[in-house]
Amino acid sequence: MANEEIKSKLKAFFMSDLGVDGDVLNYDTPLFGEEIGLDSVDSLEIISFVDDNFGVSMTGVAKENFQSIDTIAAFIEKNKA
Amino acid sequence: MTPNNRRCVVSGLGVICAVGNNVEETWKNALNSVSGIHKTTSLDTKNCYADLAAEVNCDTLDQIESPDEKDRASKLCIKAAKEALNDAGLGDFADSSRVSVIIGSCVGGVLSIEKYHCDGKDANEIPKMPIAAIASQVAESCHAGGIVTNVGNACAAGTISIAVACDLIRAGKADVVIAGGSDSFASVPYSGFLSLHALDENGCSPFNHCNGITLGEGAGIVIVESLEHAEKRNAKRYCEILGAGVTSDAHHITAPREDGICLLEAMDRAVKNSGIKKSDIGYLNAHGTGTGKNDNAEINAFHKFFDEENPTLSVSSTKVMTGHCLGAAGAIEAVFSIKALTTNTVLPTLHYSAEDSEALKAKVGQMDYVQNTPRAKELECVMSNNVAFGGTNASIVFSKKPGDVQSQVAKDKKIAVTGVGIVSPLGNSKEAYLESVKNGKLPESASICSTVTNDDYKELGIKMAFYRKLDNLGQLQTVSGMRALKDANLTVTEDNAKQIGIIVGTSEGGLGATYDFQELITKEGNAGGSAFKFPHTVYNAAGGYLSILSGIKGYGVTITTGPLSGLDSIGYSMNVIHDGQEQVMMATGTDENLPIITEFCQKLNVAADKVVEPYSNSNGFVVGDGSISIIIENEDYAKARGAKVYCYALGYGNGRKNVKFGHVSGSGEALDIAINAALKDAGVSIDEIDAVCGFANGLKKLDDIEKSAYARVFGDKLAGLPLFQVKERVGEGRAASAALAAAEAALMLGGELAEENAYFVANDGSVSKKKVSTAGFKKILVTSFATGGSYNAVVLGK
Repeated sequence: MANEEIKSKLKAFFMSDLGVDGDVLNYDTPLFGEEIGLDSVDSLEIISFVDDNFGVSMTGVAKENFQSIDTIAAFIEKNKA
Repeated sequence: MTPNNRRCVVSGLGVICAVGNNVEETWKNALNSVSGIHKTTSLDTKNCYADLAAEVNCDTLDQIESPDEKDRASKLCIKAAKEALNDAGLGDFADSSRVSVIIGSCVGGVLSIEKYHCDGKDANEIPKMPIAAIASQVAESCHAGGIVTNVGNACAAGTISIAVACDLIRAGKADVVIAGGSDSFASVPYSGFLSLHALDENGCSPFNHCNGITLGEGAGIVIVESLEHAEKRNAKRYCEILGAGVTSDAHHITAPREDGICLLEAMDRAVKNSGIKKSDIGYLNAHGTGTGKNDNAEINAFHKFFDEENPTLSVSSTKVMTGHCLGAAGAIEAVFSIKALTTNTVLPTLHYSAEDSEALKAKVGQMDYVQNTPRAKELECVMSNNVAFGGTNASIVFSKKPGDVQSQVAKDKKIAVTGVGIVSPLGNSKEAYLESVKNGKLPESASICSTVTNDDYKELGIKMAFYRKLDNLGQLQTVSGMRALKDANLTVTEDNAKQIGIIVGTSEGGLGATYDFQELITKEGNAGGSAFKFPHTVYNAAGGYLSILSGIKGYGVTITTGPLSGLDSIGYSMNVIHDGQEQVMMATGTDENLPIITEFCQKLNVAADKVVEPYSNSNGFVVGDGSISIIIENEDYAKARGAKVYCYALGYGNGRKNVKFGHVSGSGEALDIAINAALKDAGVSIDEIDAVCGFANGLKKLDDIEKSAYARVFGDKLAGLPLFQVKERVGEGRAASAALAAAEAALMLGGELAEENAYFVANDGSVSKKKVSTAGFKKILVTSFATGGSYNAVVLGK
């Protein structure tokens, strides 16, 4: 799966499942910052989505990998089988 | 010392949980350090990382009247209530208005939701689903005819129910209250806590390994009785119940504040309201769920609160025995606390190794966290704490001595109505509502709903980072609540945050969200739940979100009884102010009309197939929804801050004649009782009432109850008495409509609604409608109903 496709899938997930407004969500927008405001409950949902859709486990993975759609996509790319 | 007419005593106990099916068995097993936690036998655990639970094993739950009409949560509760009543030497109350039922629950009839969804959508399951069924069916089983309600504050609901019971007795509204909590183990909470990674695969280990909770189930009941009533009948007296404290974290929907300061505030209120010293408390039954977040917050709060004056306090969590029984937890733990107090025995937290004990010591210092085996200790007072999703904290004190309880200290204060926020199918502001009334706008279809948009958020300055988390009910509640604060020109600050409280009244609360979650896990399995969606299933999530958004940190309770909850929120809020607990209360009524709610109404044959109006002798009503928030406050406080006053809340009253939950026919006389009680409470005569804001919705059997009661109560005066019916415009919005009726009365008295359609019931029962001027109105009666036979009334006046 191309990097762009992963990012677009992630963005769609943030919009449909975590209520994020797509207009303010760019691939480099900080997810846990003031504007988007994700928290620990949301990270559980991200982990579950990434596992189900890309077969990559993010359980216990360092915080910086969750920073933005860019960093999550990079982690997926690096770790997918 | 607490005056005798404010003393509340415990005269009976009942319990059922994984440790035992009655008090004797449970207590015996607890003393022997028996845990009820085992591998679950009732749920599918495929792909689930944790499979332990503390389930009730009882084959006599169905030995009650009409078991097919009751969810497991009601059955557990009725069993515990029967034991407690028997213990107290009480039986059938013949619909006495002095006997109340207050039951806490988190997930209520969730097993019936699962059955409906997975097993052919049988309409018979629908009345068993809402939490409101529990207290109603307990009342029905013993014919309690007083205030009957449920507290929906998730895991703190059991404790709050007992606190509310005492408040009612001290306000003179009841002599006996059957109080407690009930919840059953089910897929929704199991899957939900799994999705939050909040279950401990090895079984919960409070204050120790702290890897998560283990779910339990059960019910606990405490018979709370006024001292005078107990003395008169020479009743058994276990102990006194002193003060309680209820606060809101205003922090996070699932996680407690790390610093525990709002839990500390709840304990502080409980101690102050009890009129005791911190050092009088010998044992604290902690919430102690076994999650790191909860246990560390509690340890922090206990240090800060007790280190100076009571450094060797004994503490334990009994959840290693019972599992976390959610809305029943506080009630079961109340039974443990009372048994501990009366037998001078502190129960332990189980499963500590020598190494664990050392590690604990490093965390808690000299505080006495009792481990593994019970400890004999002379006890004078015992405190029990519970906290909940939505940020609720609750603390209560049981005592051998009467203490010096602070209650009704502000009873002489007038209560002003100072703000109104309206979200309805007609629009999301007071102005939109007034405009619709002016234009005579009516429903466009037989199922209508409110729609919150980004424009509302923008106008109220609500950021996407916040509103993205809200479910539909939370959207309605936060927008109406913030609009009410704005209308009251009330800014929540660090200084006043603790002086403001919220009571949310709701008929179905999180039922729609629970159904949504059930649909998800039916498809994905119990391992496929959503951590994002799960918090919405608790009934107090909407109130919790409002507290987080507004910063309100005072009293925060969600009551759920059916439509009248939206009006009871005003009555109970008046009580909170009269008790001196808060200066300001936000009383709300909130219910949603998701497609599933309309489906339920259609299946129950109460949904109209076209637009109908009140008194149209129809077979159904228009299904609606909304959220109405009303700010009421101590008049002195309102004056000091220069608030505009719409009117005053003068009094409230309730009545009940037991019929089956889901039904109303045959209960109409109880509306007379409610009206007369409200008039008496307000010190107003029937002749002073200028108009009524009622609850007719078009359904003939309900509208006839209302008309007949008014004919009896008002007599000849009825023909000339204007009756206003908000449901002609917003449909049957349950608690939202009840609160809207009160808001409409306030708008009329405040001069903001100059003209409105009024219905007039002639002597022959026929109804006519005409527009009337509201200018001369001085006092308005507001009424509502709930199925099961409950009614209430509030008097508002200039």
